[in-house]
Amino acid sequence: MRLPQLTLNQKLGVAALVLGALALFSQPHRGPFVKLDARELALVVEQEVDHVTPTELAAWIVEGRADYRLIDLRTADEFESYHIPTAENAQLPALNDYPIQRNQKIVLYSEGGIHSAQAWLLLRAQGYEGVYTVLGGLDGWKDEVLFPTLPAETGPKERARFERAAVVARFFGGEARTDGAPAASAPAVALPKLVSPAGPAQPVAPGAPRKKKKEGC
Amino acid sequence: MMTPLYKYGFFGEEFSLLVAFVLGLGFGFFLERAGFGSARKLAAQFYLYDMSVFKVMFTAIVTAMLGVTYLGWLGWLDLDLVYLVPTHLGPQVVGGLVLGVGFVVGGYCPGTSVAALATGRFDAVLYALGIFAGTFAYAQVYPAIQGFVNANPMGQVTLPEVFELSWGLVVFVVVIIAVLGFWGATLVERRFRSEP
Amino acid sequence: MTARLPDPPRAPPLAGSGPGAPYLNPYLAGIGLGLVLLAAFVLVGRGLGASGAFSSTLSWFVNLVAPAHAQANLYMQDYLGDGTTHPLKAWLVFEVVGVAAGALFSGLLAGRARFTVEKGPRVSTAIRLLCAFAGGMLMAFGAHLARGCTSGQALTGGALLNVGSWAFMLMVFVGGYSVAWFMRWQWR
Repeated sequence: MRLPQLTLNQKLGVAALVLGALALFSQPHRGPFVKLDARELALVVEQEVDHVTPTELAAWIVEGRADYRLIDLRTADEFESYHIPTAENAQLPALNDYPIQRNQKIVLYSEGGIHSAQAWLLLRAQGYEGVYTVLGGLDGWKDEVLFPTLPAETGPKERARFERAAVVARFFGGEARTDGAPAASAPAVALPKLVSPAGPAQPVAPGAPRKKKKEGC
Repeated sequence: MMTPLYKYGFFGEEFSLLVAFVLGLGFGFFLERAGFGSARKLAAQFYLYDMSVFKVMFTAIVTAMLGVTYLGWLGWLDLDLVYLVPTHLGPQVVGGLVLGVGFVVGGYCPGTSVAALATGRFDAVLYALGIFAGTFAYAQVYPAIQGFVNANPMGQVTLPEVFELSWGLVVFVVVIIAVLGFWGATLVERRFRSEP
Repeated sequence: MTARLPDPPRAPPLAGSGPGAPYLNPYLAGIGLGLVLLAAFVLVGRGLGASGAFSSTLSWFVNLVAPAHAQANLYMQDYLGDGTTHPLKAWLVFEVVGVAAGALFSGLLAGRARFTVEKGPRVSTAIRLLCAFAGGMLMAFGAHLARGCTSGQALTGGALLNVGSWAFMLMVFVGGYSVAWFMRWQWR
């Protein structure tokens, strides 16, 4: 059977139709099914580059850094009663549709760290590379940042570190403790008044000279 | 999935300006290749004896659309990071009408006017001056019409989202419409060219 | 049927006629354009455009001659920013300069670059230039209302299946065809 001779334009048309038909099965945006590189992820966990400590996070907040998104994975009520300053609230199932982009730095925390670890794995599997959990979760935050305790060995270096931690604790509305009582017994803390902006940091108030319009035509 | 390169930090803003220039070179080159440096050819679209504007525009759209579909599917392009101009139906519908009128009156659109003035068309220079004047006028009335300009905000939405269809299905439909359109355009051209 | 039909044009814009090389097959030109657009998506995560470059340039110029007015103007503020970057150091400005260079290159290559005024046979140069200016003004309004022109909205947004862009594109054709009959004296 001889195929008919097609002009260039007709060939282009056929090519377009074929590609268009094949595209029927396409899924250019990420769907719910993911691919996991188990070895790579295990390595990341072992090298401990998958988390940040509460102290590090506290330093970022104090510095007023705006290059990360902090996500609180607890329920809305728990979020209302207290959340780490600059945090946003999103539960695990909602994370899939949450407006976070793959080129952003995303820090997750939950009460103790289990949910944040699970969310970490799910996000990493979907191609988010800059994902971190807060080591110890909110419990760790209370222990290290809000209510730091004076360590047993009190050399000058440890005392200096404790002083700094006490200043940071006061900044966040907490209180350094010298009685050695564990943080879990401390009362729930009211949301402290913040110097740095609460919620995702917005660079300038509206009305002030804004950064130039970057995208758009 | 490390593209778009700029958004993943592969290069900084300065280099992106160089990239802009190079992309512009390609853009201008193909615009002129297609004959869009000529107002007569552009306006002919609206008199039906030369449907090149339709053909070039929709071929470009289909090409890039298939491109992002396949690159996204392969995981080579992060589509979520490609900027989508937010939709504001009211002003965009009105803007389109006004732009269409401006197209026939002036004979160019902003991009083609640049291509034309680069190849020596003096009317394109006047057209560009007109754009500056019009932009200035717009800037003056903008505070008063702000409400309308920001009306009907729908955010960044795509056709598949709004019609609740799969991306692939909409792509397929667009390709069908385009190919049928090209075939129809050729027929229309023949009809209007042979008219005595 | 009208009593006297206008002469069908024999000179450009039909492909292949007039001085210079014949134009490229529109489908091939379209594929070329589409690939450039795709490259923009992959490299920079945005599409092409043109009207924004005019806004930036105008804002810069007005700021030069009447800075108080420019900085107080709500629209121009967006293009002037907070003073940390020069308004002309904008992506679209560089892109549009490239468009001019690329078009000149293609025009010279094909022998189609020449100093001329594009107009129909029945209209005077002066009137044509006036219409070009008026068309540009209209176009500016349309483009700024729609947040883009045919390059930014129709091409870029069209490829990304953007709702606003497709609506816009449709209306451009509607608007153009509606007035074509009334403007035919300029082109035919």
